[in-house]
Amino acid sequence: MKFTITREQLQEGLTAVAAAVPAKTTLPVLANVLVEATKQGLRLSGTDLDIAVSTTVAADVDAEGAVTLPAKKLSDIVRELPPAPIRMSAAGEQRVAIECGRSRFKLLGLPREEFPSFPAVKFDKAWTASAGVVHKLVTHVAFAASTEESRPILNGVLWELRPDRMRMVATNGHRLAKMDVPASGGSTADLIVPPKALEQIRRLYAPEAELEVAKSDNHIGFRAGSTLVFSRLIEGPYPNYEQVIPRENDKLATIDKAAMTAALRRMSIVASDQTHRIRLAFTGGTVRFSVQTPDLGEAQDELPVTYEGEPLEIGFNAMYLLEILKYMPTDEVRLSFKAPERAATVEPVGWNDPASYMALVMPLRLVD
Amino acid sequence: MDEAVRQSDRRILLADADAFYVSVARLLDPEGAGRAPCLIVGGSADRRGVVTSASYEARRFGVHSAMPMARALRLCPKAMVVPVPWEACAAKSRHVREVLERFTPVVEQASSDEFYLDLSGTEGLYGGEPLATTATRIREAVRAETALAVTVGGGTTRLVAKLATNVAKPGPDHPGAGVLIVPSGAEGEFLRRFTLAELPLVGPKLQERLRHFGLRTVDDVLRRDRATLVAWLGEREADWLSDRVRGVDDGDVVPDREPKSISRDETFAVDVRDDAELERRLLELADRASADLREEGLLARTVTVKIRDADFTTRQAGRTPPEPVCSDRAIYALARELLHRLRRARRVPARLLGVALSQFVRAEAAAPQLSLLAAPRLAGAESERDRVLARVLDEVRERFGPDALARGRTPAG
Repeated sequence: MKFTITREQLQEGLTAVAAAVPAKTTLPVLANVLVEATKQGLRLSGTDLDIAVSTTVAADVDAEGAVTLPAKKLSDIVRELPPAPIRMSAAGEQRVAIECGRSRFKLLGLPREEFPSFPAVKFDKAWTASAGVVHKLVTHVAFAASTEESRPILNGVLWELRPDRMRMVATNGHRLAKMDVPASGGSTADLIVPPKALEQIRRLYAPEAELEVAKSDNHIGFRAGSTLVFSRLIEGPYPNYEQVIPRENDKLATIDKAAMTAALRRMSIVASDQTHRIRLAFTGGTVRFSVQTPDLGEAQDELPVTYEGEPLEIGFNAMYLLEILKYMPTDEVRLSFKAPERAATVEPVGWNDPASYMALVMPLRLVD
Repeated sequence: MDEAVRQSDRRILLADADAFYVSVARLLDPEGAGRAPCLIVGGSADRRGVVTSASYEARRFGVHSAMPMARALRLCPKAMVVPVPWEACAAKSRHVREVLERFTPVVEQASSDEFYLDLSGTEGLYGGEPLATTATRIREAVRAETALAVTVGGGTTRLVAKLATNVAKPGPDHPGAGVLIVPSGAEGEFLRRFTLAELPLVGPKLQERLRHFGLRTVDDVLRRDRATLVAWLGEREADWLSDRVRGVDDGDVVPDREPKSISRDETFAVDVRDDAELERRLLELADRASADLREEGLLARTVTVKIRDADFTTRQAGRTPPEPVCSDRAIYALARELLHRLRRARRVPARLLGVALSQFVRAEAAAPQLSLLAAPRLAGAESERDRVLARVLDEVRERFGPDALARGRTPAG
């Protein structure tokens, strides 16, 4: 193995795979990056066994070959090297010589055979989508996935691919986010993807990139340009979320997002650290916020609101509402309710976008 | 304060164990640590980390807690270093507390070796004996039952008790009085011996600001009138400092009686190797722990199972379900899953099994978060039905005795 590469190219490649290299691992080779010098250039790969990232960067390859090198050390060295071409060459058993200007390193690696092989995902029947659209779906939905270990299926984001649309849904059983975007072509599939993998898409692919998405039995693969991401899929079925989306909510409130966020933040200071319970009371022209926490104190606030329907008092976990508001793309939002113990919805008002977006949240029972 | 005890009548003590970690380490190993005059507790076996506590002999060389171990050993190269015996310290700490609680129910643990006691209103109980006499008896009782020396400081406020303890504590070059009570009315005079840096809550930043105005000692502050102090420090801080230097502190001793965890263990007479038998024992332990939990009006966020293998290896596993639990069913279901996990990892005869419930929420403060999805009957998820059933069982046992009802899988005999 022998090749010459610019510092920028090598650094770019290492940064791309770094996120897949686990900080701590019981399998030593996973702390390494797989370095392969090929006719196409230099291929770098990293994996934590859940996610794998691989990218190819331009390099002048004199002799092909492969080795794995400690990812952290290699990145640290490259970062500190002077801005000059870097020459890397095999120097005996698992040993690589790195030369740049007058700097010389020898780094010890592990044989490439120890590096786990990547999942076999074929891209010949791939869906295609603009990476920007996928970013939008991920940004607005992935936050709602569960982080509890009790129901692994809810740790994933449901990605529904249909001939005419793509949809992402995530929920932790208390709140849910759902977004649809129009799409064309492609076949039907339901994929349950770990949010960590979706995060890599956001990180690695520019919005204008054309993203290919393919699946095998247990894995999903993404490809754009020369960068590939593979992730394990979570096995379904995903719960029937459609049936919990309320269709009969007849109490509608339109409210300024920033003002509501500010009021919720104020109230949550005095809310219980464990339940974050606050109370909202809607009447004709106002919504009254209140909170009462034993051993701590109480607070009230009020905002103007456009409200249609019978007066309503309802309890929520303030954190859930704040989080949902954070991802609402418009200045005004519409909330809909049926009753104090039924799901409420939150939607953007006047969003000029082909996508459609909604979140829903279950109330906290008001005990008194 | 009309109904409450007036400040001048309050009788507050602070019992502070002398060189606590060092003393416990010595008690544990009388032949080794017990014989080393210069003993340092803390750090790790490879002599890294920091000093948790040092014997008075080692302190004479300048060693103090939180000092890097390497530095401590340069100062006192002959010192013996032992790791902190955490478990023994926790046990000792509990033991000290038990002794103190016999003197007053109002005991607040400020750290593992410091306990505030409020004896206000106990004069009658102790035949009108002076507080110093009670303090001495407390000191002797702790010494007799735990083999630990405590210094007891007392006065009308927590602040005065704390400062009195600091004065009465032994140091590298003096044995310490052991007990010091500042009589009611004498607080002001007592405080005059201190620098501001010696007062609790006057930290380095505030000290620096105060030094800027020429304020270094308590007397320096007493010499200034309120207007001057307010001009310098602002109203809030000026009043706070004025109170401090006069020993005024209206903080109460708050007994922390709420348990941190509820646990039930059983050491088996004969090691148990059969999984089904372990499950039966676990069921009894889980039911007992969860009944205690409900009696306290609490819900637990975390369930932990501990197992000690025949070779004395102790292992434990815990789970924190999404919502806190209190019912027999949910707690046993979680515990059983944890037991399985522990047994899968290592299946050898067990000598001890335990269930611990922790991270409590008061039942009335738990706001039921309504669920979007019909929850499948998950092991750890507790339904309204589970809670109602548990409550009914508690009531039956309350009326007809603990054995009135047993769960189907608990062996009858």
